[in-house]
Amino acid sequence: MPATDLHFLTIAEAARLIAQRDLSPVDLTAAYLRRIEALDSQLDSFVTVTADLARTQARAAEAEITAGTHRGPLHGIPYCLKDIYETAGIRTTAMSKLLADNVPARDSFCGEKLAAAGAVLLGKNATWEFAHGGPSWDVLFPPARNPWNRDHSPAGSSSGSGAAIAAGFAPATLGSDTGGSIRGPAAANGIAGLKPTYGLVSRRGVIPNCFTHDHAGPLAWTCEDLAILLQTIAGHDPEDPASAAVPLPDYRAALTGDVKAMVIGVPWAWFDELPLSPSTRSAFEASLSVFKDLGAEIRPVTLPSLQDYEYSKKIIAVAELFTIHGHDLRTRPALFGASLRYRIIAGGLVRAEEYIQAMRWRTDLARAMQNVMATVDVMMLPTQEPAGKLEPVPPETLFTKLSFTTAFNVGGNPALSICNGFNDQGLPFSLQIVGKLFDDATVLQAGDAYERATPWRQRRPDLHA
Amino acid sequence: MTDAPTREEIALYARNIGLTLPAAYLDELASAYANVRILIATMPTGRPHGDEPAHIFDPAKFQPVSAADVKA
Repeated sequence: MPATDLHFLTIAEAARLIAQRDLSPVDLTAAYLRRIEALDSQLDSFVTVTADLARTQARAAEAEITAGTHRGPLHGIPYCLKDIYETAGIRTTAMSKLLADNVPARDSFCGEKLAAAGAVLLGKNATWEFAHGGPSWDVLFPPARNPWNRDHSPAGSSSGSGAAIAAGFAPATLGSDTGGSIRGPAAANGIAGLKPTYGLVSRRGVIPNCFTHDHAGPLAWTCEDLAILLQTIAGHDPEDPASAAVPLPDYRAALTGDVKAMVIGVPWAWFDELPLSPSTRSAFEASLSVFKDLGAEIRPVTLPSLQDYEYSKKIIAVAELFTIHGHDLRTRPALFGASLRYRIIAGGLVRAEEYIQAMRWRTDLARAMQNVMATVDVMMLPTQEPAGKLEPVPPETLFTKLSFTTAFNVGGNPALSICNGFNDQGLPFSLQIVGKLFDDATVLQAGDAYERATPWRQRRPDLHA
Repeated sequence: MTDAPTREEIALYARNIGLTLPAAYLDELASAYANVRILIATMPTGRPHGDEPAHIFDPAKFQPVSAADVKA
């Protein structure tokens, strides 16, 4: 394989070549580092590149594999982490001036898992400040840009993560999702991103946004790659009180390409509440036709309103955010970016009664979600509209703006975003696939079957030095 | 929903939670709080006494993880 093409290998492809000793982890890592060096100034998807560490880890992986020890499909595979994942000895800023000098002593749970799997850390990805307020131009680093069109947003908050995967700067990254922060960037950048079931992946060492809705999860080019990553990072962690002790299936083995008789629910009424553009609706309906042709059954489902899910989450979130950032708001408010400060400053005025009532509301909404999910295998809907321009967003709009993603943070259900085509500007459309609690395997199975049946994984953004 | 608080009331609320803010940030707080009130006004009320919120304490989640966590 020409060295110039290495950066577009999927994890599965690179892992196979490495296992056969047809690809050197050192060469693969060098290819990514060269590409980041040449092109990331156009996208600002990395805030820290750990080139020396990556070369050292790649050499160690290569030596071990050559000596006959192959740890598994991530051995020698480069990856990056959203800059809210704590990394021992490596600055972890959450994009905030408040953490400009923060160097953690310990890796996150997920980072430890990836290191144990022999993966190679390329660096840390841009985010919105504390994974919440953005895009911002008054924080520690500039916002990431969309590789399909630099004038457009890569969405957030795992913005650099999404951009880096699409640009071929890494085959794997981890993000976090409190209201759509993995799925939004996956959608905007035309890649695959999974918000796993709440509790399946430990949040230990991931700087919190909103404890009760935070999820850690992977972004990659394909669902097969997500399955490989999830297999490695899922599992019980006694240090995360939300972590669930559940048996893990073989996620990759679930990817059979077969969705015959799968029952797919569609919450059509939500599209009256948050109308779809004609082109997004058309891409969504075409995706449903693909599943019908593959033998799946499509049914309408009815859920509580999107607004109920969105508002309950935001009341809880603003109170929890203030709890996390209250000390800094009292002592050094000027160090926050204006967008984040606006979005959290009123959290201190939410009364305890209001917070607890919102948590009671969440109980109702989560139950309603599970009642509907009990009638189908998966639910499908668009993740969001194609990426808009990268420009400041009036922060007051963020309180009442609706999305198709937040409801599944409220429910805790696994939710995947994949690419389901491109609009007339060449920007990706997105399809969201939602599953029953802890049935992440079926979600990946459906996504993988769609990727196999459609041509969208063949197109990449065109970046030049 | 009750009447929107005045700027003076917002300043008092802020002081009560330990926020001594410059004028510009006080305007931010007033604007943001008005938006939060919109969200709160939509919440269902009149719930049964026994309605449990979604954050029930599970004591088993807080046992020592390692020997280092155990203090005599």
